[in-house]
Amino acid sequence: MNGLHGIIFSYEKEPGLRELVEKRMPGSIPFGGRYRIIDFMLSNLQNAGVTDVGIVLHGNYQSLLDHVGNGKTWDMSRKYGGLRILPPFADNRKYRSGQEFEGKMQALAGVRSYLEQIRQDYVVLADSDLIINIDLADVFESHLASGADITCVCTANYKQTSDATFFLLGADNKVAKTLCSPKKPEGYHCLEIYVLSKELLLRLVDECEAEEKISFRSDVLNGMGDKLDIRAYVFSGIAAQIRTVKEYYDRSMDLLQPRVYQELSTKARPIRAKEDDETPTYIAPESSCSNSLIADGCSIVGTVENCIIFPGVTVAKGATVKNSVLFKGVTIEENADVSYVIADKGVTVRRGGKLVGHESYPMAISKGSTI
Amino acid sequence: MKKECIAMLLAGGQGSRLYVLTENMAKPAVPFGGKFRIIDFPLSNCTNAGIDTVGVLTQYRPLELNSYIGSGQPWDLDRDDGGVHILPPYQSATGASWYKGTANAIYQNIGFVDMYDPEYVVVLSGDHIYKMDYAEMVAAHKKAGAACTIAVMEVPWSEASRFGIISVDGEDNITEFAEKPKEPKSNLASMGIYVFTWSKMREYLIADENNPDSENDFGKNIIPTMLNAGEKMIAYRFAGYWKDVGTLDSLWDANMDMLANGSGLDLFEHDWPIYGRSTSAPPAFLGKTAATHHSVITRGCVVEGEAENSVLSENSCIEEGASVQYSILMPGAVVKAGAKVAYAIIGENAVIGADAVVGSVPDGAEGWGITVVGPETRLPDKYELKANHMLSKNMKEVVR
Repeated sequence: MNGLHGIIFSYEKEPGLRELVEKRMPGSIPFGGRYRIIDFMLSNLQNAGVTDVGIVLHGNYQSLLDHVGNGKTWDMSRKYGGLRILPPFADNRKYRSGQEFEGKMQALAGVRSYLEQIRQDYVVLADSDLIINIDLADVFESHLASGADITCVCTANYKQTSDATFFLLGADNKVAKTLCSPKKPEGYHCLEIYVLSKELLLRLVDECEAEEKISFRSDVLNGMGDKLDIRAYVFSGIAAQIRTVKEYYDRSMDLLQPRVYQELSTKARPIRAKEDDETPTYIAPESSCSNSLIADGCSIVGTVENCIIFPGVTVAKGATVKNSVLFKGVTIEENADVSYVIADKGVTVRRGGKLVGHESYPMAISKGSTI
Repeated sequence: MKKECIAMLLAGGQGSRLYVLTENMAKPAVPFGGKFRIIDFPLSNCTNAGIDTVGVLTQYRPLELNSYIGSGQPWDLDRDDGGVHILPPYQSATGASWYKGTANAIYQNIGFVDMYDPEYVVVLSGDHIYKMDYAEMVAAHKKAGAACTIAVMEVPWSEASRFGIISVDGEDNITEFAEKPKEPKSNLASMGIYVFTWSKMREYLIADENNPDSENDFGKNIIPTMLNAGEKMIAYRFAGYWKDVGTLDSLWDANMDMLANGSGLDLFEHDWPIYGRSTSAPPAFLGKTAATHHSVITRGCVVEGEAENSVLSENSCIEEGASVQYSILMPGAVVKAGAKVAYAIIGENAVIGADAVVGSVPDGAEGWGITVVGPETRLPDKYELKANHMLSKNMKEVVR
């Protein structure tokens, strides 16, 4: 599909992700045994035939840069177009590193020269930390068919979260009211995926900049709602925004329902992740493994139950791991006992160690720690 | 641009001893070890050894292999200068012919090799599972000032007559070469891996082509001729894991070696990775009723039944109540509920119907052997495929 350009925002959000974002941004949090959260949106764009994508970055983005590289994984390493990384420009007074990310309109004003060069007539804006497998080609078609100025993807099945946006819808799915961070959720939960024309986007960026407005949802959706035809695209599948460790844990555990992980990566719309070149996983004779997702390159000798296991994890003899998420390269030594834990990359739990969180308060262990 | 050393990989063989598995693809494209194909081993060895230019000589059913190799990116062989090149037979001004033999295949591509003007050419086979540093072998070749170096390994005397056997003097100079001798004089077997000094090799390839009696084969013609002519030829001793997977039994064995402690086939080492083109499947899912023991599982697998001593490749599936023992499920193979699979190789995307029985545990009876279901075959529910039997996509059942 030509005609649609992707822009993904990646910036620091809530402090509720604690240890998980110590050394990375929400978009590069590992999820589902082999993905980074941003893989979902990049793959959604690729699966919809979008070839040109810009990632607007702000904050601690080194881990994200390492992960997306030149975009080859999503076939976005191209002679023309492809993936472009857009860090804050040092010479832009309003949008630069070292200060907090204030809003999408401000960030877009910071990359205005990039926006001008977009080869496509339409743009889809999305966040890097949304877990979803959505047919963006269908969203785009619906945008064209409705003649709306802006199409917003939203869902009726919301599970979270602080700092969310909600829509009250009128006839023809027109957005009647936008609620920003309401105390009580109501209507449809906005998934922060927006389709609009490049022309309108540039106009909105300029208007907002002139009036020192910075936010897409409060200044555009809410502030200009009466002047624009804003419509909703109601998505009925699985979608998750993650703002806290608990939410991260719960959405991870949801994957153990086959329906959920099957919907998140289908043969028709696969989610692609950077290749890890790991060998298959070995499961030993004395091992007992059930109800778990296990990536390649692991060696499992002990017991694993209700877990999400990333590549290169070792669970030694006699060790028990239950209801946990183990990131890449975690080592659980002999006879250790781990449950309700999220162990970040390279964590080692020493022989005989006991690490037990609680379902309502899973324990997150920082990258590289030895327990 | 000039390269010191390039590799030529012989990947044109049909691999007829793999029967139904190679009906539609060349042997080097046959899946191995859960997520690899046989050709990943020599290609990865090249890239790990710093050889960045590889010609892959294809002839039999090259479609699968061509699309698998693609640009060579998974092996880091997508280069502007060099990289991996597929070399099928082609038509020239004086006519066209198939590759008549291993030596003729290289002879027909003298022009390709000359483009890189190499000092040395490494000749490899596409049907061996092993990890080897060709750079060390080339260094030994250089140091000895040899015209040809042949990689050898010690094999049990009882098996020596199955191999090309090499006799050496005290300094590992080759004194004699015998192809599958009845009474072997040595137990050093040729591994089918050669390093040639290109200027010498070029001469012998042309002379061999002009000899109407030659079969244009390295083992049968080029090597003996060079030896008789008094060229300096040395043996390079290799002691690691190496297996020719040209037969169903050896293919099954080599897969099982992945599981066996001390077999020497360790694919977990990170200092000599084997690369492959992999699919974008989610991690393997082991369900609530899964019982997996002493097996390897790969991305995209879904296991709800039992697996023991088996290799489960990408996207393979064992449904609840099914059991798989001592078997290889190739990518996308599905074993439906209640089916029993033992000592079998299940080809790519084959489906074993519910309650079917495939293969059996060896019971000492005459005529027992590995059972094979060809790629894309759909075995009906309750079908019984006996030990040593093979079934292909067209539902033709044959006894090996």
